[in-house]
Amino acid sequence: MAHLKREDWYDLTRTTNWTPKYVSEEELFPEEMSGGRGIPMEAWETYDEPYKVTYPEYVTTQREKDSGAYSVKAALERDAFVDRADPGWVSTMIAHYGAIALAEYLAVTAEGRMARFAKAPGNRNMAVFGMMDENRHCQLQLFFPHANTQRSRQWDWAHKAYHSNDWAAIAARSFFDDVTATRDAVAVSIMLTFAFETGFTNMQFLGLAADAAEAGDHTFASLISSIQTDESRHAQQGGPSLKILIENGKKEEAQALVDAAIWRAWKLFSVLSGPILDYYTPLEARKQSFKEFMLEWIVAQFERQLLDMGLDKPWYWDEFIRALDETHHGMHLGVWYWRPTVWWNPAAGVTPEEREWLEEKYPGWNDTWGQCWDVIVDNLLNGKPELTGPETLPLVCNMSQLPIVGTPGNGWNVKDYQYEYEGRLYHFGSEPDRWCFQQDPERYKKHMSLIDRFLAGEIQPADLAGALIYMGLEPGEIGDDAHNYEWLEAYKQKVDSAA
Amino acid sequence: MALFPIHSNFECDFVIQLVPVDTEDSMDQVAEKCAYHSVNRRVHPQPGKILRVRHHENGIIFPRDMKVEEAGLRPTETLDILFMDE
Ligand SMILES: [Fe+2]
Ligand SMILES: [Fe+2]
Repeated sequence: MAHLKREDWYDLTRTTNWTPKYVSEEELFPEEMSGGRGIPMEAWETYDEPYKVTYPEYVTTQREKDSGAYSVKAALERDAFVDRADPGWVSTMIAHYGAIALAEYLAVTAEGRMARFAKAPGNRNMAVFGMMDENRHCQLQLFFPHANTQRSRQWDWAHKAYHSNDWAAIAARSFFDDVTATRDAVAVSIMLTFAFETGFTNMQFLGLAADAAEAGDHTFASLISSIQTDESRHAQQGGPSLKILIENGKKEEAQALVDAAIWRAWKLFSVLSGPILDYYTPLEARKQSFKEFMLEWIVAQFERQLLDMGLDKPWYWDEFIRALDETHHGMHLGVWYWRPTVWWNPAAGVTPEEREWLEEKYPGWNDTWGQCWDVIVDNLLNGKPELTGPETLPLVCNMSQLPIVGTPGNGWNVKDYQYEYEGRLYHFGSEPDRWCFQQDPERYKKHMSLIDRFLAGEIQPADLAGALIYMGLEPGEIGDDAHNYEWLEAYKQKVDSAA
Repeated sequence: MALFPIHSNFECDFVIQLVPVDTEDSMDQVAEKCAYHSVNRRVHPQPGKILRVRHHENGIIFPRDMKVEEAGLRPTETLDILFMDE
């Protein structure tokens, strides 16, 4: 039997809206789930997804992708790459899996909301595939690290992280709950797929895939490239939603959703991708600096997409570009200094050679961040390791849930953006973080940051040991320097040759 | 005498930190408690300088002997701790 070509039947078969007889449209598509925003159904029916795929095509392609990723894993398993990989790279994988694997599962529910509640039939259709994509991403990123749980308990955090109160997990949950779990279908398509996936997963997945290939980790490279091909398809769900909002007089609302999601995603990536690309990845495997990736993927490509769409650059764009030289250095130093509080072993990444690279990529690094690291290195060389670990908690932002950081040393500019609301004093790491809160205080006002919980007496005993228990970090999971401080050798030689 | 949480924004450090002080503490004592978590950890000491406490939002430098309870601070208020000549 001859088959019709896809374009001859696709539009007809996914035109699945009907006129409900037994319930009202409002009951079929409740506003808080669908987010129709008063735009008529006919307008939502104009939703035109740029990437069209049929179920047989989808299944065929996904089957190939899956067997590709799984067979690379199987073939390289005996090669035991992890055992000879640089410890900084191992930390990269452990941090990545913990931060990402279960967020993929949350994304299944977000896609599910669009698949059921989007008023646009095209969105519902794409989201069904998106839902299956995200399920696959979750499965892959739980299964791959599981093979390594015999090597260290830290690998188990691929599954454990989101179930814990580790500060990094609180930060990641805060972001993903905001843009995926608690938004209507239209907002999800904009905040999760357009802002986060188009903008930022590109960063984490393409940036990391490039570094993985350079580092010789072909299993990880093939895994995340395989995932990224799904992302680049289902990330396209937000564009047509934005078009409909803009055509129907809702540009301002659309812009606010985009602006909030981009800023919140940026902060999360400043603590995840930033340290990985600029500090954990072995020097010889670094393709580009974090800032260079950001400039290429976010500033050049994503900015153009925003403008093509008829949106503006977010109001904080200048501050965002300025922060590319700053935030992730602070996040990295914070993670390393508070290293017992993470489920991976942070690589310091500050040998004299690496500092030369940092100075070249970020002129002035030695005069600012380097000043702090000088004190740390001196303490380690002079037998005072106790001064290189924390005895209190950093102030965390009531939006990003991440430490409030700025440039140290000779460029000192650290600032807390305080805001009093209904008698409670909130702290924010930047003007855009505070702006996100002010956009919708009802949404955020009751959330307790780690510091709020500490001061409320929820963390007992009220010290570092109590904090580790609260965060769920067991012996064998608590982070320490990735290279067991061996990187200090380069400094010792420097001191010796100077003497 | 009561525990009072403030946040220390210490000159030349990269992060703001939680520091519990006491309502009876003088600003010099506050500065000292904040210094414990920054100086010689990530901040070089500056011999010959003294530490002064500044209100983070309005920029007013508190008298060295002013007590915490007299300073009109909100719990968790951020304070700048600065190296100064006097
Ligand atoms: Fe995904
Ligand atoms: Fe996705």
